[in-house]
Amino acid sequence: MKKKLTYIVSVAMAAVLLISAGCSAPVRSSEHLDDYVFTVRYHDNFNILQLTDIHWNVNTSAKASMNYLDKLFKEVNDHIVKTQGADAKIDLVELTGDMFMLANSYHLTTFIDYFERKAEEYGFVYAPIWGNHDRHCLYNPNDLADRFANAPHCLYRELDDDLYGRSNFIINLTEDGTKDTKAVWMIANIDSGASFSETEFSASRDYDYIRPEQTDWYIAEQEHFGDNIPAIAYYHIPQDENEKAWKAVSEDGADIKNKFFKLEGFADNGNEKYASDFIDRAKDHGLKAAFMGHAHNVDWTFEYEGVVIGLGVKTGSELYFAHIDVESEDEAMKAGLKSVNINENFDLIGASLVTLTGSDGSFDLEHLYFNERDNGDFAVWVKW
Amino acid sequence: MGEMVMNSFFDRNNFVHSEQGGKQKRQSILVTLCVIVFFVLSAITFMNFLYCLSDCVGSIVCGSPDVAIRDAIRSCPIFLSFFVTLSGLMTSHTFYRNENREILAKKAKKHALIGIVIGALIIVYTMVLRIAGRYLSLVEGAPSRLYPLDAVIYAVVFIALGVFVLIYVKHDAQKQLFFGVSRAPVQSKGRGVRSFFRSFWLLVALYGFCGFFYSLFIVDFRHGYVFYSVAMMLVSLMAFFTIAVWELFYNNLTAAARKKYTLPLALVSLAVSVVSTVIYFIALKGNLDGPSNVGFGLLPIAFSASVNFATLLVVAMPLVVSVTAVVKGIHRKHN
Repeated sequence: MKKKLTYIVSVAMAAVLLISAGCSAPVRSSEHLDDYVFTVRYHDNFNILQLTDIHWNVNTSAKASMNYLDKLFKEVNDHIVKTQGADAKIDLVELTGDMFMLANSYHLTTFIDYFERKAEEYGFVYAPIWGNHDRHCLYNPNDLADRFANAPHCLYRELDDDLYGRSNFIINLTEDGTKDTKAVWMIANIDSGASFSETEFSASRDYDYIRPEQTDWYIAEQEHFGDNIPAIAYYHIPQDENEKAWKAVSEDGADIKNKFFKLEGFADNGNEKYASDFIDRAKDHGLKAAFMGHAHNVDWTFEYEGVVIGLGVKTGSELYFAHIDVESEDEAMKAGLKSVNINENFDLIGASLVTLTGSDGSFDLEHLYFNERDNGDFAVWVKW
Repeated sequence: MGEMVMNSFFDRNNFVHSEQGGKQKRQSILVTLCVIVFFVLSAITFMNFLYCLSDCVGSIVCGSPDVAIRDAIRSCPIFLSFFVTLSGLMTSHTFYRNENREILAKKAKKHALIGIVIGALIIVYTMVLRIAGRYLSLVEGAPSRLYPLDAVIYAVVFIALGVFVLIYVKHDAQKQLFFGVSRAPVQSKGRGVRSFFRSFWLLVALYGFCGFFYSLFIVDFRHGYVFYSVAMMLVSLMAFFTIAVWELFYNNLTAAARKKYTLPLALVSLAVSVVSTVIYFIALKGNLDGPSNVGFGLLPIAFSASVNFATLLVVAMPLVVSVTAVVKGIHRKHN
């Protein structure tokens, strides 16, 4: 009996040791502000391509999806060269979450290999952000983090810290691309989480939101590097400002600059219970724009107290997307069509392009609707 | 009580094998191993099945049935691979139960033929889609490097196994080759209802097993989810274990031992299930975002409906099985 007990205790202790080996005390984000930061050289007409909700999954034909992305990259590059000159290029690709859903290690490897090839070909770096579904896969999330962190052209950092979310990091665009010169623009990449239950017995779940400590961290980074640096935040799940603005425009007729399509709820089908303080506080600390993904049938963009907030155009045809029909009687679709001035049917998939035009916080935004077609691909650029 | 059950576990006289000769015992052990191998394969293909299905359901729920159809067409060999594996499990389970030679031959033939037909369907379907250009290549890739060729190879293996079973059953009728032990037959009273619940429990056991199996590779022990991750692994294991105990342990006991140990075993099962359930809810209370950050990779259907139903299903099933067993044990004790 004593022998058995000793055996059981030994096994239990070994298990505890193994588990605790992976658990060191998280660092305090406020004491490691430099550790969150990448630097990239800034120049006027710095181009940031947003790809969102690519959603590779077990049903995806990776080959077909890569064929689509090949054409998309070429279209974007051609457009940039045509409008900005031969030296212009895509500088940064922001992958704003849900790159995967119900995918496995094969998808992960293939995806990163593909983006490494494209980064080499077009000369960009890319920055992935966690979406709610990137956690719902047959790979270990740590594997995703490690592979992105080790990919040569990928900007990704994951600290074991006290911040909510797996990965929050900053890309400072500086004059010479090092930390030695001042940040001209700040790109904040924020993990907006996945979902949570209100109690352990809740039957339903709520979508996550950017937590106050993440806002504190963003402000601390701003203050650390000089405050009021023009900034753009990229994250996955729309926060409550989107819904408030939509209601103000559609129900109260508010005079807010807005454009593009809003064909479904932003998150929780418009019933957000949890409001984030991020936009409200960050707008006083350099925030010029916030772009996200999540709702595939939405790329609606608006201006809220000097901050441009909008969803990127969903990239690729995985999971679901809207078919835009010029004959539709749906008021939201009619409003979207009117705003983009397109007179033919198309699918709401493509990409979004931000061009930083100056260090004063000015930028251009364009949405690209890109569909593969047998008789010539559909590619339409619409300016914000 | 636990000691009583443990004693029966180590007492060879309580097992049906104890009364058998060497050849019979060897055949019986081989069949049990086949059941285990096909169960593991079924669990893995079931996970693939659920992953593909969850994505298709997601597309439909989000208003893109065209995407769901496109995806289902592409992944049809994955769906069918689960059913072809299940035919292997059913065939080996028929030998495992071995009610009598006549039923064995009839059922084994049926399951083997089902496997052959589904296997052939996978091969023909894949070739047709390749010729039609729906697959860009026979090794198009995703979800595996060799897809859909690997599905075709898998189907060929199962067709070969089916043919082997048919030949074996034919020879068995003439030369009486199989001497595997007979385990408790499924009672004819309420056979339909029993069959339904047995199938349902099998799916839950597969779900629990593959959840536990994959958790060894994909569960995140960093980021403060350690307790929830362990609890998730525990309930997944319990969903499999409570059912496996009855099939692999209880059904291998002699009739006399079964009568004696039903209630003690049921009570032990109930106690363990209650403890694992309590641990799960304590862990969930401490990690309310745990399911979406750790759990949904293991419970793919859980995320689809935005409710915690699937998680609760896995947590509750061991309790349901245990309570049913307790009722059965009490009934047996009084009869």
